[in-house]
Amino acid sequence: MIAELIDKQDNFEVVRDQIAAILATEVASQMALATTAGKDPDDWKLRIFSERSNPWEQLLNEQTDRSPIVNVWFDNSNFDPAASNISERQKTEGVFNIDCYGYGISSDEMGGGHNPGDKEAALEVHKALRLARNILMAAEYTYLGLRGVVWQRWPQSITVFQPQLDGRQMQQIVGARLAFRVVFNEFSPQVPAETLELVSVDVMRTEDGEIVVEADYDYTAP
Amino acid sequence: MSLRQLAETDLGLILEDGSTGFGWPITITDPSGNTNTDELLGFSDDIAQIIDPDTGQAVSGRLASVAIRITRLTEVGLTLPRGIADSGSKPWVVEFNDINGNPYTFKVAQSNPDRALGLVTCLLELYA
Repeated sequence: MIAELIDKQDNFEVVRDQIAAILATEVASQMALATTAGKDPDDWKLRIFSERSNPWEQLLNEQTDRSPIVNVWFDNSNFDPAASNISERQKTEGVFNIDCYGYGISSDEMGGGHNPGDKEAALEVHKALRLARNILMAAEYTYLGLRGVVWQRWPQSITVFQPQLDGRQMQQIVGARLAFRVVFNEFSPQVPAETLELVSVDVMRTEDGEIVVEADYDYTAP
Repeated sequence: MSLRQLAETDLGLILEDGSTGFGWPITITDPSGNTNTDELLGFSDDIAQIIDPDTGQAVSGRLASVAIRITRLTEVGLTLPRGIADSGSKPWVVEFNDINGNPYTFKVAQSNPDRALGLVTCLLELYA
């Protein structure tokens, strides 16, 4: 039996939460930098969520905040036995989906013409993808701030989904997915070590018998 | 009167009865800024719906449409509305209140005329 309570997060959970935390922190930082640069910080705003599957009520037309929504969720992982060991560590290649939702409504252009909502939504979701990829692939986050756990991170693919034509909606929403691949270590519970015997070592100088090194080792079962 | 003509006349009774039926006042403005010159009654819909932008996760959406008798459009000085893709032009704009009197403005995203029966259904997008 496993003697200890498994009271920890697996690293796929840690990595997922870290991705969301990095995005949330950096979006806030980018908004502050935009303000300093005299630009509209709302153009850098993303609303970050993690593992949500409820309908996005916030994209209804009554809402006043039209910034894109980003949902980070764990998709799948594969284990690489060749780079792992059978007792303690499993090298894992996980895919985390970073889903972006852009919202747009058609609006009147004072000088003539109008801004189509479908284009507006597409540009919004492209902006969200651009920010998410740039943040996560920045040199500051080569190991996602988890050196020792994360081996590598890489944007595996970007897919922008075609807007639905059936049941045309009065507000335009475009979804897109950044599939983000992260290679990391997973660790598993270990057998508590038992001391089998004590190994003592004395290193003496031949000429005069002076002890130069003295050490005791608890030799434990491998 | 043929059965088809009778159906078109009945359509007027069904769509444009604002006192005992479902007829509802609608204002339509064409890209040139011309608005219906007389009262225009028709069906108007504005309902919530769940949509999936293919991410597998649902988004709350709204579906809005109006249905109008084509002959009545001509009578009030308008032609058939249609979706305008060109961002350099003004769209067809449709305005109506919900049942509680809140006004909403839409643009025509798609127009589905039924020329056999004389009915045009316009699918709408929110317009600000």
